[in-house]
Amino acid sequence: MGKKGLNRREFLKLTGATGSMLAAGSMSGMAFPRNVWAATPAIKGPIKIGYQAIASGTLAGYGQFHKYGVEMAVEEVNAAGGIAGQKVEMEFRDSTTKADVAIENARYFVDSWGADFLAGVDSSGQALALAPIIEKLDRVLIVTHAATEKLTEEGVFKNGIKQIFRICSPTYQDGNAGAFVAKDLPAMKWATISPKYEYGFTCWKMFQDTLGKLKPGVSFIAESFAPFGTTDFFSHIGTIMDAKPDGLYSTEWAGELITFVKQAKEAGLFDKVKHVMFPVGAAMDVLEGLGKEMPDNVWISGRYFFRYPDNKTNNEWVARFRKRWNHYPAYVSETGYSSIYAIKAAVEKAGSKETKAVISALEGMEMDSPAGHRVFRKEDHQAMYEVPWGKTVSDPKYPFKVMGEQKVIPAKEFFNRPPFEGAGTKPPF
Amino acid sequence: MKNKSLFAALILVFLAALVAMPHLSGRFTVYLAMRFMILGIFAVGYNLLLGQTGLLSFGHGAFYAAGAYGMGFFWLHLSPHPLLGIGAGVAAAAVLALLIGFFCVRHTEIYFAMLTLAFGMMVFSLIWNAREITGGDDGLVGIMRDPVTFFGLGKIPIGKDAQYYYLVLFFFVLSVWVAHRIRISPFGLVLSGIRENARRTEFAGVPVRNYRLAVFVLSGAFAGLAGALEAMLQSNARPFMAHWTHSADPVLVSLLGGLHSLTGPLAGSLLFVAMREIVQRFTENWMLWFGIVLLIIILGFRGGVVGVVQNLVLRRRAEGEG
Amino acid sequence: MQSIVHVCLAGLSAGMFIWLVASGLTLIFGVLGVLNFAHGSFYMLGAYFCFTVLRHLSANFWIGLLLGPLFVCAVGFIVERFFLRRVYHLALPYQLLLTFAFVLIFDNLVKIVWGAGSLSPPRLDIFGEAILIMGRKFPAYNLFIIAVGPLVAIGLWLMLERTWWGRIIRAASSDREMASALGVRVPILFTAVFVFGCWLGAIGGGLAAPYVGIMTPGMGDTIIIEAFIVAVIGGLGSLKGAFLGALIIGVLSAFGTRFFPTFDMFLIFILMAGVLLWRPQGLFGEAR
Repeated sequence: MGKKGLNRREFLKLTGATGSMLAAGSMSGMAFPRNVWAATPAIKGPIKIGYQAIASGTLAGYGQFHKYGVEMAVEEVNAAGGIAGQKVEMEFRDSTTKADVAIENARYFVDSWGADFLAGVDSSGQALALAPIIEKLDRVLIVTHAATEKLTEEGVFKNGIKQIFRICSPTYQDGNAGAFVAKDLPAMKWATISPKYEYGFTCWKMFQDTLGKLKPGVSFIAESFAPFGTTDFFSHIGTIMDAKPDGLYSTEWAGELITFVKQAKEAGLFDKVKHVMFPVGAAMDVLEGLGKEMPDNVWISGRYFFRYPDNKTNNEWVARFRKRWNHYPAYVSETGYSSIYAIKAAVEKAGSKETKAVISALEGMEMDSPAGHRVFRKEDHQAMYEVPWGKTVSDPKYPFKVMGEQKVIPAKEFFNRPPFEGAGTKPPF
Repeated sequence: MKNKSLFAALILVFLAALVAMPHLSGRFTVYLAMRFMILGIFAVGYNLLLGQTGLLSFGHGAFYAAGAYGMGFFWLHLSPHPLLGIGAGVAAAAVLALLIGFFCVRHTEIYFAMLTLAFGMMVFSLIWNAREITGGDDGLVGIMRDPVTFFGLGKIPIGKDAQYYYLVLFFFVLSVWVAHRIRISPFGLVLSGIRENARRTEFAGVPVRNYRLAVFVLSGAFAGLAGALEAMLQSNARPFMAHWTHSADPVLVSLLGGLHSLTGPLAGSLLFVAMREIVQRFTENWMLWFGIVLLIIILGFRGGVVGVVQNLVLRRRAEGEG
Repeated sequence: MQSIVHVCLAGLSAGMFIWLVASGLTLIFGVLGVLNFAHGSFYMLGAYFCFTVLRHLSANFWIGLLLGPLFVCAVGFIVERFFLRRVYHLALPYQLLLTFAFVLIFDNLVKIVWGAGSLSPPRLDIFGEAILIMGRKFPAYNLFIIAVGPLVAIGLWLMLERTWWGRIIRAASSDREMASALGVRVPILFTAVFVFGCWLGAIGGGLAAPYVGIMTPGMGDTIIIEAFIVAVIGGLGSLKGAFLGALIIGVLSAFGTRFFPTFDMFLIFILMAGVLLWRPQGLFGEAR
């Protein structure tokens, strides 16, 4: 399905070939699933995808990396003939961090630009605010970063906003999977320094609940929540060090995690606390920003890590990405990239770009992507796939620390299960 | 006078355009128009404080948020009746403005600005941290638009954007009219006097502080109305509404449009909403251009857009006569 | 006891970082009467220019700290001479919004010039490893900052009280017209003071960057509010007030985070409002 690398010559050949083929009204001989198109009525092109991510302010780097992944996917898809033979057009907008901007962008995409699909969204708050609007706009939205489980448990499952799908791993990866990893660590007294907003509170609670069930006897002895924009973590670090935990869990992310790690190192936190977990520490901006300063033997994870899975699809994709952009892919690059392919697969499976048909096609759909094999769970539209937790280690191949020893927990063992309330819905099962 | 009737004609044309809009344009333009009107309500009320009375507040976002959350809580826990919900929001905003204004009007100028900023951020922090009640940074979600009823008689649906538009338009026209009446009333004239020379006004026997408090509460009520309307438009209420950078919006648009006229804030709101949307289609860095436009206006066109238009009209008349 | 000492140290260093930024803000307000929203931008530009100097000219931290802020001074000169000067006689909203416009412009320009992603300032090894204080590590760099803060304060005090320059600045700030009548070239003075204030802000940014460990466009946005709060609480326009205010806020915040975790910006804003209401000249300022 067009996953092979295309060098410049092949690319040009294909575009030329595709163009003439399309003009002749038939599909090119490139890998297309079976012969769906012969039988179905032609889908009116172009296929328009509206993508939004944070492209300004302190998190501007994320928007840039979203774009890298998405643009690359669109180029590849179009070079291979597009979606169901139709060209893909993508427009990118800065979502900023504000919900009203995200809503306006979504409305612009659908009502003014004529988007057939929407994707992106970094912030959980934005995603939740968007949900009722997406229902009204009646377009499929593939969320590529926002992690709140409320979006899928409440938005999709309880409230029936079927248009929303999430391709990235949610807070289950941070809280539940983290607890599964933590249970095998000797630490019995856990503390946290986490961001002072819903995401931070939710993950810590989830971690506590799950670990408490997995390992009776653990205690959670200290917590310190740092407001958005904290540049000085010393007092928070002091609180934790006074409590003398043997495990530290922190959902700090992006720039704040970089600041926190550097300052924690100075304060000697990593000498005193032997077991440290950063659920979103495997993000490329963090790893590259810290470089050698990331301590060893810290457990990190994310929504995707470029070295997992160690297979042809992923390794070749990473190589292509590096060639195209001269960077290692961030996890938002992968989720953005795969969201385009998810749309492609769904449209071609459904034989239509109508929202209802695409929703049916996406529910339960399985797809291969650089991050591995994904399945979109029917009940809450959450993609299930594995992301490893790994212990940081130096590797001479890279100017930053990578995952050494890895733990991969199957998604179905730690994702909350429908109906999400009552017994048997939260791990361990 | 020819000027006045020309002006009145322009207003009528504008109104007619607004009324006809849902039938003439697509859903997105209707949405933008609603955002313009809501910002316009916020700004026109705010300008009673800034342009008319000369007080610069960086905390009016708190009242906007009070309106939104007030409306949201009312809808979620008490009654889905939209008009009552809006009333609840406006009342909440007015009460909060009374409480905060009571303290703030003791000062003027930079101290007033800093005080309002402090109180506004206090409200922001409160909303963010009282997660159990307000939902924290997730905000209140799922606010729906139930049909408007009048004492059980008649049911006007406002669920669809095009329908809700008319409710917003109604409040927009009402707000502008009320603001206009306030501006030209004796109360409004006293406010102007306070702006021009507070000390002299005080010597004339006017209880300046009470007037300031009154206009503070009034502008807070307008902010609350805008907040409640946005809560229903977007189906959510968010802490960011109380942040000082949101409080800067009505200042920006009033300056853009012209501080000393009724229509200034409206022109500024229109320009702001339009600019934000259009410039974004060409560049991601639209804030950069907005900053540049702001600079140009402050340096060269202090009367704002309205000032520019007025000068053009005056010049043309002078040329015609001279 | 160990925790208390470390909380104090954390508070002192945090306070001194804020003081470095607030000093420039206070000086500019005290002399020019303008509250410069864009001061956070000069802080940010300071960090970025120092980084660029270190990248392309010399890897010596001190040289970076010396040269980087000079570029920021150039930017500050342009801002004051061609833009800010035109609004001194205007009402408060115009001044504030002019500086606000510059915040928007600089945040975006930095993104365009240096990129949207975060940049890592070079690691600080000049002061060596952290120092053990009462059994727990405290970074030597922060001790350096705790020393630099008062040095800057003393330096500013000496300049204002003991030099000819300082006398002129004090005169112009207390009575602009009189100073002008006495022959002081007030416009040039204002430009000089503004540029100097920007220099202080830039130094603050250059010094803060290795501590914060990361630079992003928009990094000035939070620091400006902290600087405002400190300046107001200490007394708008009073350098002594800003210094002591920064100390108090720094230490209070540290204690609050450590011992009263629900302590948040909320209580700091209450303090700010309280000071404004009951002693608007600030805790240490003189009545104006």
